[in-house]
Amino acid sequence: MSAPLIFAVPSKGRLMEQTADYLAKAGLRLRKVGHERGYRGEIEAFDGVDVAFVSASEIVGELNRGHAHLGVTGEDLVRENIANASERVTFLQPLGFGRADVVVAVPRCWIDVNEVADIATAAVAFRRVHGRPFRVATKYVNITRRFFSARGLADYRIVESLGATEGTPAAGTADIIVDITTTGATLAANGLKVLDDGVILRSEANLVASRTATWLPETQKTCERLLARLGIAAAVT
Amino acid sequence: MSPPPPASFEAIADQARTLLAVFIAGGHEAVSPPIIQPAGVFLDVLGEALRGRTYVFTDLNGEELCLRPDLTVPTCRLYLERHPLADQPARYSYNGPAFRFQPVSADAAHPREFRQAGIEAFGSSEREEADARTLTLVLMALQQAGLRTWKLRMGDLGLFAALLEAAEMPERWRRRLRFQFWRPEAFRSELRRLTTSPARSAAAVPRSLVEALDPDDPAGAESLVAEALDEGSIELIGMRSLPEITEGMLAIAADAKAKPLRQATAALIEGYLEVKAYAGEAPARLRKLVDKPDGRFAAAIDVFERRSTLLAESGVDLSEVPFSGEFGRNVAYYTGFVFEVLALSLGAASPVAGGGRYDGLLRAVGAPREVPAVGGAIHTERLLAAVGGNA
Repeated sequence: MSAPLIFAVPSKGRLMEQTADYLAKAGLRLRKVGHERGYRGEIEAFDGVDVAFVSASEIVGELNRGHAHLGVTGEDLVRENIANASERVTFLQPLGFGRADVVVAVPRCWIDVNEVADIATAAVAFRRVHGRPFRVATKYVNITRRFFSARGLADYRIVESLGATEGTPAAGTADIIVDITTTGATLAANGLKVLDDGVILRSEANLVASRTATWLPETQKTCERLLARLGIAAAVT
Repeated sequence: MSPPPPASFEAIADQARTLLAVFIAGGHEAVSPPIIQPAGVFLDVLGEALRGRTYVFTDLNGEELCLRPDLTVPTCRLYLERHPLADQPARYSYNGPAFRFQPVSADAAHPREFRQAGIEAFGSSEREEADARTLTLVLMALQQAGLRTWKLRMGDLGLFAALLEAAEMPERWRRRLRFQFWRPEAFRSELRRLTTSPARSAAAVPRSLVEALDPDDPAGAESLVAEALDEGSIELIGMRSLPEITEGMLAIAADAKAKPLRQATAALIEGYLEVKAYAGEAPARLRKLVDKPDGRFAAAIDVFERRSTLLAESGVDLSEVPFSGEFGRNVAYYTGFVFEVLALSLGAASPVAGGGRYDGLLRAVGAPREVPAVGGAIHTERLLAAVGGNA
């Protein structure tokens, strides 16, 4: 095949299993090419597709730069890592797994803060007492900034946090967090609550197409065949 | 507008010499603040939203730095380095690059790297004189660089501040309105909320607690809030202390009992923001807004009028300069006079110059006291394009 369709799928963990299950329902089986610990693969009895096993967080970058034509990745990661997502990628189909909400959470003891707008009120008083704005711990820097700015909240500072974000308010390194949650149990265990209007994004895994990749007629055809197999009617570009 | 060809570098440098010569002759010492600045100062002063427009990076020591997104804050920092007590007047001018990420692909009118030439005047308590001198000097520089026609727009944020001071309402509402002023939509919905139902509906907060809280008994309130937390087995975590949470609850309790903001007061505030008039006629229009002008608002109108007179005396024709109550509502650090100069060939989204008064900025940047400050800057690439368009 001279112009294979490059399909990026998660290389490990639950997301990889769920992706494999999803494809298997359409009778498509992923198979590694070369040795068992390699990162290349194909779909059994389906021509023209090069499967790239990539870590979930890198799939977005591959799609954004056009190194992959299709990929399975969370909407949260796309929204966070691509500024003008609708120009760079197309969401073809939500897949019903990898569900997680991106939420704004504050300490439960802030009984006077229940909505995003209350943060603004509290921020004025907080600055007066502590001489600084609220710190918001998150790995979703861009999503947070867009969400707060759409709600007129400007007086805060982001602290990038790559792990154990829920613990930062108790530790005193942040006051507010923006993080993913599935059941809310971890938040509650850390003395946090989600604001009433604090769900920023209900995310799940999506089949995503790159608009920046080179789509030769042949690649396009392979893609159409694949989407037909998966029962997806959406157009790629 | 097509991007300027590389050859325009010499034209830009030439133009910069002309602009700076005018500024220096006007008594503004030329300075050159560092291009790389600590990011924290900018983000604290201008807000996190600016981070999206600023090239922020971390150096090998983990220090968060940025390429300056404008020259006003760096010039303030330079002033404070020279005068840590902020107790001396100073006038500076500058010419140099500033950097902003442009969400849409960079075009000639919005390049990610652009040169600003401008002036700042610190510590002059004769505010209207300093305002008028700043605008006059900026216009003179534009003219000297070859700009023949322009459109000037003016506003005065001091008027709004005075109007709000004079309006009858609890200080906490005033604080919220001031806070939201920069975001017209949020401001309007806050105003609507205050006139209809100021009580904030906090479903999670027990009604009985809200009713029990007495604003005149903060100590008692604190123990009531502590009890409520105990009952809900809610642990006190984070940096906000019990007294701070209590203060927030007291505000909720006070709002629950407060009479809504009078419609007339809200109408006055909205009426002011809608005022559009030529600068010369604005004072009369503003005086008509209130039947019995409060001293503070009347004084602010006098200030506006005095500045206009000074501008007219130094040859700035205000007869067709539009004034708008809303103008200046997009940069959070202006506190008084604001202006913008449009070149006819470039359109309203790409002013060639702008500036205003920012009396609170130096303190936010670290000055031990409030320092009167006013300045203006020219977008030199746009000026060159506009002047080229005239030729």
